[in-house]
Amino acid sequence: MMREEPWQTAEVCGPTKAQGIKKPAVVGALLKKAKHPLLVVGSQALTENTGKKSMIDYFIEFSTAAKIPIVATANTITAFKEKGFDNAYSYGAMEITGRLQDHDWMVASKKGPHDLVMTYGFPYYMEWLMLSALINFSPHIKTVSLGRYYQPHATWSFPNLKKQNWNDALKEILTLSGGSK
Amino acid sequence: MTEQKRARLKADKLDTGFGSFRNIEVTIGKVIDDDWDEPMGPTPMPDVTTLRSWDHKLLTRYRPAYMPACQLCCLCTFGKCDLTSGKRGACGLDIEGQSARIVLAAANIGCAAHLAHSRHMVDYMIHEFGPRFELSQGDGVEIEAPVSRLVTGIRPRTLEDASAILDYCETQLTHTLSAVATGQEGSWIDFESKAFHVGMIDQVGMEIADLAQISTLGFPQSDPDAPLIEAGISSMDPKKAMILAIGHNVVPATYIMDYASETGVSDNIDIAGICCTAWDISRYDAKTKIVGPISWQLRFVRAGFADVVVVDEQCIRTDILEHAKKVNSPVIATCDKSTMGLPDRTDDDVDDIVKDLVSGKTPGVYIRDHEKIGEVVVKTAIKMHPKRKKKGSLPSKAKMQELAQACRQCSECVRSCPNDQPVMDAVLAAAEGNFEPLADVYDECIGCARCESACPNEYDLHSWMVKAAEGRWKQESFMVRSGRGAIKDTEIRTVGQPIVFGEIPGVIAHVGCANYPDGGRAIHDHAEEFAKRRFIVVFSGCAAMTVGAIKDEEGKSIYERRPGTFDAGSVLNVGSCVANSHIAGAAIKIANIFAKRNLRGNYEEIADYIHNRVGAVGISWGAMSQKAASIAAGFWRLGVPVIVGPHGTKYRRMLLGRADKPEDWMVWDARTGDRVQVAAGPEHLFYAVENLEELMVMTAKLAIRPNDTAKGRAIKLSHYIDLHETYKGYFPDDVHTYIRRETDIPITIKDKIKAQMKENKWQEKPIPDPTLVRRLVYGGNGGGK
Ligand code: SF4
Ligand code: SF4
Ligand code: SF4
Repeated sequence: MMREEPWQTAEVCGPTKAQGIKKPAVVGALLKKAKHPLLVVGSQALTENTGKKSMIDYFIEFSTAAKIPIVATANTITAFKEKGFDNAYSYGAMEITGRLQDHDWMVASKKGPHDLVMTYGFPYYMEWLMLSALINFSPHIKTVSLGRYYQPHATWSFPNLKKQNWNDALKEILTLSGGSK
Repeated sequence: MTEQKRARLKADKLDTGFGSFRNIEVTIGKVIDDDWDEPMGPTPMPDVTTLRSWDHKLLTRYRPAYMPACQLCCLCTFGKCDLTSGKRGACGLDIEGQSARIVLAAANIGCAAHLAHSRHMVDYMIHEFGPRFELSQGDGVEIEAPVSRLVTGIRPRTLEDASAILDYCETQLTHTLSAVATGQEGSWIDFESKAFHVGMIDQVGMEIADLAQISTLGFPQSDPDAPLIEAGISSMDPKKAMILAIGHNVVPATYIMDYASETGVSDNIDIAGICCTAWDISRYDAKTKIVGPISWQLRFVRAGFADVVVVDEQCIRTDILEHAKKVNSPVIATCDKSTMGLPDRTDDDVDDIVKDLVSGKTPGVYIRDHEKIGEVVVKTAIKMHPKRKKKGSLPSKAKMQELAQACRQCSECVRSCPNDQPVMDAVLAAAEGNFEPLADVYDECIGCARCESACPNEYDLHSWMVKAAEGRWKQESFMVRSGRGAIKDTEIRTVGQPIVFGEIPGVIAHVGCANYPDGGRAIHDHAEEFAKRRFIVVFSGCAAMTVGAIKDEEGKSIYERRPGTFDAGSVLNVGSCVANSHIAGAAIKIANIFAKRNLRGNYEEIADYIHNRVGAVGISWGAMSQKAASIAAGFWRLGVPVIVGPHGTKYRRMLLGRADKPEDWMVWDARTGDRVQVAAGPEHLFYAVENLEELMVMTAKLAIRPNDTAKGRAIKLSHYIDLHETYKGYFPDDVHTYIRRETDIPITIKDKIKAQMKENKWQEKPIPDPTLVRRLVYGGNGGGK
């Protein structure tokens, strides 16, 4: 299935909709351009994996390679702390969604704002709404949804992908960001 | 019907924060109690903008964060309008305004549902018992209607007073509803303020509804030992005729119970309820049974238990008739709000109606006459019971396996499931003869049947799950405590001080619906965790059923393990959704009884008191309805934070504080008139958590209040730190912000906290007598530094 349509039926939005990431190079280009990117990782990362890698390990590698801080929501932070990773910050999903609407705000009290936010690991409908907040109230931020399923409120999203295709895409993004395969 | 009289509130001189008034008269419609000597406060019967400045204070600190579910507006023929990213509609509204308007619309709808229920209840009671029937919450409750007293300035003594209060509420609802019309309100903050207003009105309406039914129907009256009730599907006796009542309005069901007992057939029938009617029939007669929350309607009906289905109002599946037809269960609609397209047979002969229902000539009827409802329902149930050979519409496992083999693997079932359940994989497993995955889906299913609507093969997928899990629900039996009603004044006298000082670390109010993201176990685990920590845990509505469904090794539910008093470590059930007004009532009574603040028409001062001092936190893990939205809005206006489960994000706006902005956390010190910065407590006013782990930590954090004493603050912090370490895996890095003096430091974790204080260059801070309202500074209008 490679259709750019909401994964959960009925979650259709307004006139704008995310561009499908057909090639991971798109994400590579966005990363190159971004001054202050941010990864926002939700609790599904605690149980999901990509290929043989846990999502937590994936994001640690990604973050380290591309020098991007992570906001880990709910109890997701535990896994990052356990692995001794210190570039992850704890906020609630709603808190970070609120903060990112403040055009001056940046994680770790740095001078903002973030200009690229990549999301992963939330209940589908929750991420859908978080991205809706950003598309409407944070027009300075480009968003990339890194999950398998199409999120129409992102600026860029994978279309609904088969697991293997998604694994391959994430691997390539990691390579583009300077991380291992 | 009620007789309309006119009456007025009078005060010769009234000094208020808004000015000094002479010869005040408020004419409101009915008789007012003249011998109440409590002086009238500044805002009896506030109109839509009277408390606006209070709302704006809260909304400035807790700014709405909108998450639009739709960028379009199609409410009028000017549109459709595209409001994406700053565009405006033809009426001038932008997406912020539109989002706030949706918040107000939801609160209006919710309030209307409760208020109409309340109006029906009071009018009916006046008709039955007369306007002078006295209202009572039982012994030990002098302040029988704290919310009504606070908001309206009226002490409702009789049903007639209750009706006068509803007159006021209905007027307010009309105004807030009108503000949603195109070309009215345009500012997000004022839409929000109106949502707060209608939330407050909702609390009054709910309080009146419950007070009226408690007073007249012999419900438990503020009784901590309200009876234990059998609940769960397997508590039904298949040998008896089964009457299922669904909804919120108990009145029709009382006639069923009365008729059964008057005709001596009570022992031959089981009367059971789903949703709030379940609670209220159990308050009327402890021998009735509780099936479970709203989400269990379909599974119970499809399993074929009900010989008759009786629906009243609210939370009914709107397609219940279709499902009931499939299992030959006649449906009796009893309420004008949900007539289900059924013929009105009110004026027909009882035996003719019964004959038509039993023969299947008509699948259901609408009856307005309560007496007739009682007779028709009981007679039909008794006749249907032996006749209903085809009980249940559940397929056999062999049939399911055969059908499942034709699954197209299209994923439509998964994509339509709000809880993202692996329905397709479960169906594929069933095709191989393994039904466990389908049974597992049942455990987390909210019974919406969207999966089967979506399935191109037209599989009855919800029924498949129910069948697969038969072994589980056939064991489902547990004890819940019936609704006790209000909190006694005497209980408030005992706990008022420890709550305000923070030594009882908080009051947790679990409210409402069953739109759970993961089954309901989280509610139980949360309640147990906080009761163990000596919080007071109060339940109402469907959540109060779900919490009882988890049993310990001895087979006991939480209600059997913990007392029902309003005290540290207790778990109590106030009753149906309208009874949740007693939770706000308890907070209001703390301000009145313990702190001796006047209630009468004194909303802002009391809300300010509660916000700064009473560590209450509302939780609705499975919030679903607009009613939950208006209930939450009532808490917001009182300054009480509310947490919802992940589906609560679909309310589309949070009220978030910014702990990182010290300027947002300024209060007046009422003793000195100084402006003082306090820690961010409660940090948020409305917050959706992602999972149980976040809920655990957030609950403890939101119980913190500026007024905590040193001992209270230390206790609250130790819970927050402990839960944070357990669920987030590390010592929270904001503890130092909550330390005002060294005496606030929990002694057992002193070293860690001191190290953090040092690292953050901590400085001692004053502990004010906090208020957000300048006029409440002693001796006048602040004027301090
Ligand atoms: S109410 Fe306003 S925004 Fe909505 S359709 Fe009409 S003109 Fe457009
Ligand atoms: S009935 Fe249950 S499994 Fe089916 S869509 Fe609804 S919640 Fe999901
Ligand atoms: S919707 Fe029906 S046909 Fe499609 S995968 Fe689900 S069960 Fe199979």
